[in-house]
Amino acid sequence: MSQVFHDIEKKIINSLKENSIQSPETLEKSTQLSPDQVRRGIEWLKLKDLAIVDESKSSVISLGKNGLDSFEKGLPERRLLNLLKNGPRKLSDLQKELGFVFGPAMGLCRKNNWIETSSDEIILKTNSSILPGEETLQQIGSGKLSKDKLDTTDLNELLKRPDFIIEDVIKNKKISLTSSAKSLDISNTSGAIDVEAEVPEIFVARTHPLKDTIDEIREIFVTLGFSEILGNMTQSSFWNFDALFTPQDHPARELQDTFFLDGISAKKIATPEQIRKVSESHKKNWRYQWDINEARKMVLRTHTTCVTIKHLAENKPDEARIFSLGRVFRNEKVSYKHLVEFNQIEGIVVGKDANLRNLMGIQREFYKRIGITKIKFWPTFFPYTEPSLQTMVYNEKLGKWIELFGMGIFRPEVTKPLGITKPVLAWGGGIERIAMLKYDLDDVREFYNNNLGWLRSNTKCQ
Amino acid sequence: MPVIELSYSRLQKLIGKVSKKQISDSLPFLGLDIESEDKDLVRIEYSPNRPDYSTDYGVALGLQGLLGIKTGSVKLNIKKSKNYSISVKPTVSKIRPFVTGIIAKNGKIDDKTIKQLMTMQEDLHFGIGRKRKKSSIGIHDLDEISFPLIYTTTSKNHKFIPLNSEKELSISEIINDTETGKDYGHLLGQSSQMPIIFDVNQKTVSFPPIINAAVTTVTTKTKNLFVEVTGINKDDAEDMLSVVATILQSAGFTLENIQISGAKNSSPKLQEKTMRVNPSLINQTLGLNLNTSKIIASLKKSRLNAISKGKNIVCTIPAYRFDIFGPMDLVEEVALGYGIQNFEPTMSPSQTIGHTNPISLQLKSLNQTMIGLGFLEALNSSLSSKRVLYDMTNRDSKKIISVLDSKSQEHTILRDSVLPGLIENLSRNIHESYPQKMFETGSVFNLHDPISEKINLAVISAHKDANFTEIKSVLQTALKIGFGIQIQTKTTVNSSFEDGHCANIIFNGNVIGIIGEINSKIIENYKIRVPVVGFEISLSESILKSL
Repeated sequence: MSQVFHDIEKKIINSLKENSIQSPETLEKSTQLSPDQVRRGIEWLKLKDLAIVDESKSSVISLGKNGLDSFEKGLPERRLLNLLKNGPRKLSDLQKELGFVFGPAMGLCRKNNWIETSSDEIILKTNSSILPGEETLQQIGSGKLSKDKLDTTDLNELLKRPDFIIEDVIKNKKISLTSSAKSLDISNTSGAIDVEAEVPEIFVARTHPLKDTIDEIREIFVTLGFSEILGNMTQSSFWNFDALFTPQDHPARELQDTFFLDGISAKKIATPEQIRKVSESHKKNWRYQWDINEARKMVLRTHTTCVTIKHLAENKPDEARIFSLGRVFRNEKVSYKHLVEFNQIEGIVVGKDANLRNLMGIQREFYKRIGITKIKFWPTFFPYTEPSLQTMVYNEKLGKWIELFGMGIFRPEVTKPLGITKPVLAWGGGIERIAMLKYDLDDVREFYNNNLGWLRSNTKCQ
Repeated sequence: MPVIELSYSRLQKLIGKVSKKQISDSLPFLGLDIESEDKDLVRIEYSPNRPDYSTDYGVALGLQGLLGIKTGSVKLNIKKSKNYSISVKPTVSKIRPFVTGIIAKNGKIDDKTIKQLMTMQEDLHFGIGRKRKKSSIGIHDLDEISFPLIYTTTSKNHKFIPLNSEKELSISEIINDTETGKDYGHLLGQSSQMPIIFDVNQKTVSFPPIINAAVTTVTTKTKNLFVEVTGINKDDAEDMLSVVATILQSAGFTLENIQISGAKNSSPKLQEKTMRVNPSLINQTLGLNLNTSKIIASLKKSRLNAISKGKNIVCTIPAYRFDIFGPMDLVEEVALGYGIQNFEPTMSPSQTIGHTNPISLQLKSLNQTMIGLGFLEALNSSLSSKRVLYDMTNRDSKKIISVLDSKSQEHTILRDSVLPGLIENLSRNIHESYPQKMFETGSVFNLHDPISEKINLAVISAHKDANFTEIKSVLQTALKIGFGIQIQTKTTVNSSFEDGHCANIIFNGNVIGIIGEINSKIIENYKIRVPVVGFEISLSESILKSL
């Protein structure tokens, strides 16, 4: 425990050394501190075992509405007796003069045999100089009083009456120093503060954790020599599917997997030559009647490949390293592992010597840069690449292999109709999966909940 | 992707000398993902381009090749027979024009075989059959059928006892009242005539593509099978038949042919095809330097036949491998046969210099500015809901862009504004400490030839002293520091904001956004207990430079 004291603590200790038992209120006066400072100071000293706080309760008595009325005008029974001092009076007159206290006054006087009734007249029998409760009423009326200073019988008499007496229970704190505090010398530590004390929490403004991951991945691609291209999230089916050799009756093109935009079709989808050659490739290889209206239907892109293939078809580069990064969509039930909208990164290498081992090499380098070194490749299937592979990476935390990026070489059925002559290596995958590993999340929805508790507390460098 | 359940012990019997571990280690290198394992059972996911992997017989063929136990292509031995024929009547041509089939004899059928054949049939129907639309299969007990058969049409009043039923039903009843009828009846359109296969005694064999007759049901007592495939395209139907024939031969049946004739139909050939591939294409694509004999050996491990012919390799491809379109597919077969695990990744030196897209760079600078101003970055989906975008925020929902058949209520409409999402975010955080200051940059969508996508910035501040002056200061500074531009604000009225506390944001004479105190009704809707101020501006066109 540090023997460094806050100014507040010092003032309280000094005051208690002079006057050993004090209430918070007297401490406020003696130390010139605010109530809040005193409260905090006492709390700190208590935690350090330097102060003792004795709590007790006491009652304070004051007058209620009827009590105040009686304090000013006299008790109801006193007022009745006073009216009878000069001889008997008519009941109806008394009623008029006393108003609502007439009833209680009559009751009490009769009960105590102070008056008697004869036909419609009231006659005084005895008149005492001090009635029960009268003295106490006077005492209370002159200011709030502690209950234990009053006559109990008298007080009880008044407590029976409605709205006469208000009783408040007050907590009293008595602060004193512990024996170790009494011998404490606090004079020679002046100027120092408690640097070990807890401080209030403040919140940082920051980028979103998923954005941090996206930026990190973008930077890796750029340093590997790739240039970023952007494209729309809404795409015609032509670029999302047809240009990628996905037949029009393929299950992926059904409503239950892909988001089609209600009633929206594109007028212009591609050049006439592109449309002709792509449709010929479909007819020849998949043996069906290709329908341009199917190709016009607008969808929310299911991958960023539609952006890269469009770029390649427009620019026909002999050599290129490009990447595309952005939101993609799947019509899925949202769950802890599925979102309808997530981010995808996709990289493309075009070059006459581009080959499968290069493609694997780029993957290995990419994973190394995000801290994953244990990887392996398995064959898989995508409609638009041949050969096709997927990467499996070993996750130490989970203790198992998990699937990350898919990759392959664009099929000739994809590249030829669009006039792309050199081999095209392509790979990509979801970014949220990588971010989940990074932030140790088991529910992918957290990224889009914008839960301030999580956003404000998450560690930036992981 | 389809998933099937296999038994290790059954696979071991089918493959030959092989351990369980060898099987589980090899499955992924055939392209089969292991979903789960439980003692003897393993569930695997296969790609829809390989329907032959829909049974353990097909998987065993693949594993035999990969493990080097049996290599080269599987040859179909179909005995020429004159005992079986189907004649096709022209009336089917408008409904379901093609039928093909094969006879499979002397097989042993146990429960497990029936189960494998049934999953194969289902998977083929779903995948290459496109939910029975393109083609569908019927497997029957041959000994209950008297040949020759006739594939013709009949009226909807025709009655027979269908599979899994005890009484006769009319075709109308089958279509309207049975489960498969309801699922697939629409494939036959509105025609009054329905396709049907009768045997020589006018006994109903099958009502394709809906259901078989009960009388031909395959049981563990069945020895001989008749398989028919019907479809809208002859080649597709024969492709499907080739898978079934290959599987049945692997299951121990001997095959016999069926003669089919009439109305453009003919007997199936199920022939192998040959394809040339240049070794240099293989080596160039894979980044390897394999000699011809290594290439041939690899192709054989992928259960194809190959010989060297001049500079080329000539490959023989069995009919069931109709996933092979051209030489590039053979390149992949070489890669698989060679073994993906044997590829050493290489890094080719980059000749290119990478760059971040200028738009991304500018957005990143804007992010830094907003963070400097004390705002936390939020991310919301672009596919939002009517509730968040319009109902809760009093906004006009006339020009919405919605998606069809979303599985999630919360994701049905493309956002045309970012701010409503941020206000909704506040409502989820009313228990967190204030001030709460957030911003988001993201795409918004509007109908325009057919859809325009623009990037907006939305900013929000919620705390007990939030007011117009505060948020205008933020707007002014963000744009000045972020982009060096100056804006004005001009009074306006907007249902999302408080009257008299709302302004258009003007830049170069154009309205580029809106700013103000969020309407107290909206704050009430979300049960937020502090005042909220915010703005939203369009960054595309006027502010972001595409360079």
